[in-house]
Amino acid sequence: MAEMQNSNPTILNVADLPTRSRAAEKTSGNYGSGIFAAVPNPSDFLSSDSEGDEDLLEEPIDEQEIYDLIKSISDPEHPLSLGELAVVSLPDISITPTLPNVPESPLQTVTILITPTITHCSLATVIGLGVRVRLEQSLPPRFRVDVRIKEGTHSTGDEVNKQLGDKERVAAALENGALMQVIAKMMETCQ
Amino acid sequence: MSALQTFLLVVDHDKEEAKRIADGVAQDVESKRITLIEIVQQLGEYINDEDPILRGKAVSFLTSVIQALSPKFLSRQQIQVLTTFFCDRIEDGGAVAGLDTLQRLDRFNKGLAAEVAQALFSNFQDLQSRSQSQRFQVYQLLNELMSTHRVALRDMDEISLVGIVDLMTGEKDPRNLMMVFSILKVVMMEWDITNHVELLFDSVYNYFPITFRPPPNDPYGITAQDLKGRLQDCISSTPQFAPRSIPALLDKLDSTSPNVKKDALNALIACIHSYDPDTVSRYSITIWEVLKFEILNAQEEFLSELSLQALQAIARRLSEGVTQVSQDLPLAQYLRPITKECNEQLQEPQQKQAKPAQQILNSLSSASVVAFTLVVKTVVAPIFTIYQEADGIAKQRALLETLSVLFESAIQVYGQWTTRGGEVAFENPLLEFKDQFSDVLGQALMGAAKEEVFFRVTALKGFLHLATLRGFFQDNEIGLFVQYLDEILLKEESVGRDDLKKEAIAALAEISKHKPRLIMDITFPAFVATLPDEDDGTNSTYLSTLDTLAQISVERDIFETLFRRLFSKLTILLQMEQPGAVAYPRAILMTILYVMQQRKMDADPSVDLYFDKIVVGLCRIVSESASGKGKNQILNDATILDTLGRLYNLLVRSVSIQKQEQVAENVYKLFSATEDFQPVPFAQGATAHQERTIIISTYLLAGLSKDCSNHIPHTSPDMSGLLSDLVQRCVSESAEPATHLAFLRHLALLVNKFLSKQDLNIAENLFDSLVSSEKRPLSPTTIRTIFWLSKALVLRLAPTTAHILTSLVGLLSSPDQQTSCSTARGFAILLSDDDVLSATNGASIRLLSKQRVFTTVIPMISSRIREVNVAGNDVSTDSSKASDHIKPAHLTALAGILSTISTALVMPELPTLLPLLLQSLDLQTSDSVAVRAATLDTLAVIIRDNGVNVIDKCGHVHSLVVRLLKTTEINADIVNPPRLRVDALKCLYLLAAKQTSGDAAPNTHPPPSISPLLSEKSQVLRSLRSVLDDPKRDVRKAAVDARSAWLRGVDDAPEEDD
Repeated sequence: MAEMQNSNPTILNVADLPTRSRAAEKTSGNYGSGIFAAVPNPSDFLSSDSEGDEDLLEEPIDEQEIYDLIKSISDPEHPLSLGELAVVSLPDISITPTLPNVPESPLQTVTILITPTITHCSLATVIGLGVRVRLEQSLPPRFRVDVRIKEGTHSTGDEVNKQLGDKERVAAALENGALMQVIAKMMETCQ
Repeated sequence: MSALQTFLLVVDHDKEEAKRIADGVAQDVESKRITLIEIVQQLGEYINDEDPILRGKAVSFLTSVIQALSPKFLSRQQIQVLTTFFCDRIEDGGAVAGLDTLQRLDRFNKGLAAEVAQALFSNFQDLQSRSQSQRFQVYQLLNELMSTHRVALRDMDEISLVGIVDLMTGEKDPRNLMMVFSILKVVMMEWDITNHVELLFDSVYNYFPITFRPPPNDPYGITAQDLKGRLQDCISSTPQFAPRSIPALLDKLDSTSPNVKKDALNALIACIHSYDPDTVSRYSITIWEVLKFEILNAQEEFLSELSLQALQAIARRLSEGVTQVSQDLPLAQYLRPITKECNEQLQEPQQKQAKPAQQILNSLSSASVVAFTLVVKTVVAPIFTIYQEADGIAKQRALLETLSVLFESAIQVYGQWTTRGGEVAFENPLLEFKDQFSDVLGQALMGAAKEEVFFRVTALKGFLHLATLRGFFQDNEIGLFVQYLDEILLKEESVGRDDLKKEAIAALAEISKHKPRLIMDITFPAFVATLPDEDDGTNSTYLSTLDTLAQISVERDIFETLFRRLFSKLTILLQMEQPGAVAYPRAILMTILYVMQQRKMDADPSVDLYFDKIVVGLCRIVSESASGKGKNQILNDATILDTLGRLYNLLVRSVSIQKQEQVAENVYKLFSATEDFQPVPFAQGATAHQERTIIISTYLLAGLSKDCSNHIPHTSPDMSGLLSDLVQRCVSESAEPATHLAFLRHLALLVNKFLSKQDLNIAENLFDSLVSSEKRPLSPTTIRTIFWLSKALVLRLAPTTAHILTSLVGLLSSPDQQTSCSTARGFAILLSDDDVLSATNGASIRLLSKQRVFTTVIPMISSRIREVNVAGNDVSTDSSKASDHIKPAHLTALAGILSTISTALVMPELPTLLPLLLQSLDLQTSDSVAVRAATLDTLAVIIRDNGVNVIDKCGHVHSLVVRLLKTTEINADIVNPPRLRVDALKCLYLLAAKQTSGDAAPNTHPPPSISPLLSEKSQVLRSLRSVLDDPKRDVRKAAVDARSAWLRGVDDAPEEDD
């Protein structure tokens, strides 16, 4: 393995990463938790569990969901995730309508700004590509994905952005077997 | 022809005959008909022959004769002559075996041993060019000499040392190497090797690392691990090797292969364990310098773990015999650069290398008391400094974690309050910082913002370590911590997932093991004081209080206090002259139940007290309430009775047989003192209140041992009356649901557990009369009665099991739709686990019952569905219309059975079963959701445990994939609730993720074939793309996982293993 460029980065604790706070889990009566859950309520025996109205409730794709998709990608250098290294972070993800003038259009654009751990990280392009591939595989076709280096966090940020934004160059990169292997390895930890 | 000539003729092809000839000659020798000299003379013409094979056979003849002689026969002189003879002929076949025989004899002496060894050394220069078995024989002889005449060999000194090394140099066969290594190890440990260290070391180290892989079906069963172990023993055998072994092994850590590094580390650890402390000390810092990188930049977890073990082993060795802590100790010198490095890494405790630094501190400080003291003295003060200057809570938390690591080591070294023995003479160096710890942790726990849950949890865990650490805190200091915990639990609002509260409860429970007094004095009064006298329905905070009390009261003393307090609360509630809400008393009962379940009640000396108070005492009040004489309605409530019943059940199981007999007599009468109370069986026109006491009776009955059956009322001369009465009550549609279930269980219990074998026909007749009743439709209560009765009989594998199952399946085809549907749902009852009819309660549940039901029912269902399918293809619409419900009914029944048995039973029937499961997935209506969900569950388990290949073997991959994809769709015609969509996606995910059988050994390579999923790949990816836009988040998540598994896992060719 080549010498690491940043062998000792700062790590965020997994517990501190933003998560979706599940709205109070379905509580069945007062005995929902703790020791009282162990004894079934006798009236449970006959009632059939009916699917509630919540099945009809729609849950649109939001920033947290995008974050959850990419936070578990591994860094190509460390056995750590992009979330733990703060390469991706929730405030740096935004979802906007692709065509603001056409309100009925379902097209949406996801913009992700990534923050390399050091300003001269040569792997920034690979990371950007990895994020892009992950999202293209995981989002429905009506989403456009835009991955960029956050301004001021990388010495050649513009250069990298050009590369990440150029469809032709992205396509060419994805043809590259060695590169795809690196990206596949990064995504092994996505669950 | 002489015996010798015959022997030479037959020895090649008839070993038996050859042995018989030799035995004969040996007898002649023993009876003095022939002398050994004569035999040797006979050999004369052959042993000088030019043909080595012939010479070998001739020598073997002599060997065979000697082997057949009795061990005492040969005289010292004869042995000497023979030894010399064999030594001269040692290169001829059979001579080595002859020597082996001779050296076993008592009269074989030291001098002869040396002679034999010398002969081996001088004549086998070319040993490695001989066959494996010949070499093996030579090593074996050497090995024997080593074990019986070691002194003789050792006295030969250099000659034997060099001789042995020369003999084995170049050996490659694993079987031979096993022996060679063990011979060499003896030489290394017992010879004076000063002048030959290099020779000996190289002779074994040349084999490092072992790369041997046993061939498949290796009859000798030698593994690479065996060889590695013996080689490692040699390398670590003597500290004289250290100047060579340690640098060489450390060099091997430059290897790119993790396996080589692993072997090197293991060998290094072995050396550290076996070399003397002085030697270990000499290399300790060198080793640290190298291993540091393995830990700080860990490539593989196991390498870092082994490296930590090695560092810890050094610290242990260097602690041996140390009686006083001083900075001049070799141990201190070893630790100095390490703690320095760790301190540097911990300056930035959030950076990646801080974690390994913590691990290093943990391994070293737990190595010994001395090591702990030295580490604490250099590490703790700097951590406090960084802590004070830290600019953020995240950083402070990382530092608290580091301290916690040291506390864990302290517990390993000094023990907990409950640890027996092993008191340590050294004072705990942490005591110096005690007040600081208490302040910092208390501040972090109670002073931090409430949202900083994880920070506070870290502080709590650290505090807990110190509170349980033996001889550290005073009781009042632990008491302060307990007060903090009480405050968190009683006063603080819930935050998020309540992690802090959960940890606080766990901490109190842990402290209760070490300092029960503190819990009883501080926590108990505080908590009990918040319990209301009655529940006015406005506030249910008592639930969390009871929850906490239950979890910290498992220790005996605390439990007795808890029981006293709660029972008096309960008594007050039962005395109130108003209806009263049931939630609170039920919660109290549940709390008592929970704690009793956690404790071993049958070993509790107070069990009789609990029995009298709860079972006998409360039963009376139950009977009073049932006859309308109660002060309030609490004990008339079904949920209260159910909870109380569970408590009874537990207690009855735990008391003596005499008490159980009392219970048996009172199982219906309920220890009642009033005349008004009417026991349920045979009661006419009982009120709902009275009938409800069957719940209590059932739980009492369940707890009784089988031996009490004679004491149960209404069972003599037989149970027929009682059972018929119960069946009538079961079938009746007027009972409340809870009462009804109790009747069913009661019936099942009697039939399964208490009905004697010869009386089984009573139950079977009841079953038959219910099933063959002319009345159609059969009411749902009748069908449930049928199934509970069947359950009782089938679980004990009654002789009529097959008949019962056939009748049940028959009901599915009933032309009456309602009968058929209710029957279908009943199948889930048959094998499901039940809290009352359970193995814990001594029900007779035969091991094979599940398998029996499955293998009987599945073929019946399968063939019936086939019939229906064929009939459905006919155009005769009328008859098929009328039986539209039959197929779904069978599939529902199947799902019911599948949900109650393990997949291991399912696998042999998979070819029959899979088509049925696929047809279940074809159902589309909303009332089939449960069936489809159960089917998907079963499929998921099958795929997870066995991989896609089992499906492929049945040839159903395509049909399965198509149906799964259909189930993920949102479609107007098919009802696919989100749960089904998720389950179907999970199956798709598992298909791609588990392409090789789950339990296959990791070494077996999958057959290089094309994945059966490949032809489905593009279809799956296309369909799942639209599922990615599902309105429900969980579905999308499952779709993402499934899709990426297919993208990643389904490939043209199986991936090459590296």
